[in-house]
Amino acid sequence: MIELADVCYAYPGAERFVLEHADLRVEPGTIAGVVGASGAGKTTLAKILSGFIPHVDGGELSGSVVIAGRDLAGLSLSACVRQVGLVIQNPFNQISGARYTVRGELAFGLENLGTAREEMADRVTQVADLLGITQLLDRSPYELSGGQQQLVAIASMLVLRPPVLVLDEPTSQLDPAGTRMVFGVLSQLRESGCTIVIFEHKLELLHAHADRLHVLAGQRIVASGQPGEVLADPRTDEWGVGATRYTRTGRLARDRGLGPVAVPLPVSFDEAVGFFGGGPR
Amino acid sequence: MAPALFVDTGSPVHRLNPVTKLVALLSILVIVFALPQWWTSAIVVVAILVPAAIVARRARALAGIGGRILLPIVLVLVLVQGFTFPGGRTVVWQWGALSLTAEGLTFALNTGARIVALVLASVLLVVTTHPGDLMSALTEHGLSPKFSYIISSTLQLIPSFRTRADGILLAQQARGLAIPRSPLRRVRVMLPLLGPLVLGMFTDVEERGTAMEARGFGSTVRRTALEAVPDSPGQRLARWLMAALAAAAVVVPLVQELL
Ligand SMILES: Nc1ncnc2c1ncn2[C@@H]1O[C@H](COP(=O)(O)OP(=O)(O)OP(=O)(O)O)[C@@H](O)[C@H]1O
Ligand SMILES: [Mg+2]
Repeated sequence: MIELADVCYAYPGAERFVLEHADLRVEPGTIAGVVGASGAGKTTLAKILSGFIPHVDGGELSGSVVIAGRDLAGLSLSACVRQVGLVIQNPFNQISGARYTVRGELAFGLENLGTAREEMADRVTQVADLLGITQLLDRSPYELSGGQQQLVAIASMLVLRPPVLVLDEPTSQLDPAGTRMVFGVLSQLRESGCTIVIFEHKLELLHAHADRLHVLAGQRIVASGQPGEVLADPRTDEWGVGATRYTRTGRLARDRGLGPVAVPLPVSFDEAVGFFGGGPR
Repeated sequence: MAPALFVDTGSPVHRLNPVTKLVALLSILVIVFALPQWWTSAIVVVAILVPAAIVARRARALAGIGGRILLPIVLVLVLVQGFTFPGGRTVVWQWGALSLTAEGLTFALNTGARIVALVLASVLLVVTTHPGDLMSALTEHGLSPKFSYIISSTLQLIPSFRTRADGILLAQQARGLAIPRSPLRRVRVMLPLLGPLVLGMFTDVEERGTAMEARGFGSTVRRTALEAVPDSPGQRLARWLMAALAAAAVVVPLVQELL
């Protein structure tokens, strides 16, 4: 379980706090989505969850960050890293530069952790298959498209099988099919007990895959709940989160006096069908 | 762009353990400096480097790259030493105040031969050895992974930074920046672009550090390697023999001098 309580954080030398009295709770074996506008502090929160703040970035961190019953403040960075895997926002920078092929790149983390050679080869093959990048294994990681690099970046973390996985906008460069595949893989991982926190803008996919959705705005988590409830909330624009096309359509319709009044706004296609009364023809 | 120099022909020279090739290079370095006569280097080139390049099927690359590096050096060496060697007395050819001396030419030959041997040996190593394999092999022999990382990432990131510089330039051109034809003005226009490039590099370094740590780069456990570096008892013996030969090349002349 992940439990953040009363977390405040300011970058070294910065006047403003990025987070003020933020609380977040994620149950084990679930997918938590976190949404928030640009600059809301998503990347900052991702680094706090994975121990890079305060171990690497420094700055002023107060409150507690407890993962699987242990406070990250009391762990070394390498202990944090074994507990929580972080996929950073920019896939280009996730590529180590230490290896010359995607295969080597995927094995890099396992080599650092001293994994036996055969197991390493097995895991690399497996994860490449899972993310559909087998045909890239012998290519240079630097000669890939942005989306391919992003898949390699995700794979290079999945291969380590961390109990908790934090992904910072992991599908920003992927096409719709690639994005759906990544979400599918994350859902599969959840079944194997992995706890996942994903920072994303793609609301419809979060609605479909996340168990809970949290909104980061005004330096705190301002809302947490079922993705459907959170996304139908009238304050989403105020939070800078936006809404799915179904919610927006529903709202427009309601403003024009169409659609039912008593039911919540739709978030997904299925809900929209219900909302607009599309029964059997 | 080092990886582009390397072409894998799968030859026996390519398949040697990179450390064996490195020890060979270092032994050649020591030997040609310990035995300064030009024919030492000539033997090394004719008896070792050329046959090895042929076996490796990289003779043309060796000649091309080696030639491009060596031609200017040798030319300058012959001209400068030939005409200005301080101990030069035996004039071979005279043109006005300039005189070409035999002593100068001999000096140029002895020095030039060594440079040729060293450059060719280095080029042969580079064109037959993938830098990644060299680094893995050295890490296996106790080189710090951090150091090997610095080398590998530099080799790979330089081309990628060039791509980024092109991108920044393109973005500026798209916003109406004209690139003048005159080189001097061009530099003046492009100088301000260094800002975004360098700034980008700094934030990158930080993020890269984070990403590396996230994958256990700071871990203190004993590392493993995905690919085994090929090695054999024969090669291990060869490495010791080459080192012994190099040591002998240094010690034997010294002893002879003392006696
Ligand atoms: N290294 C840093 N030093 C000082 N301030 C920083 C640093 N990194 C980020 N900030 C500031 O912290 C705030 C939150 O930044 P953060 O990168 O966490 O936002 P984000 O939600 O991830 O944005 P985006 O969606 O654009 O990735 C911003 O106001 C930003 O300017
Ligand atoms: Mg961010």
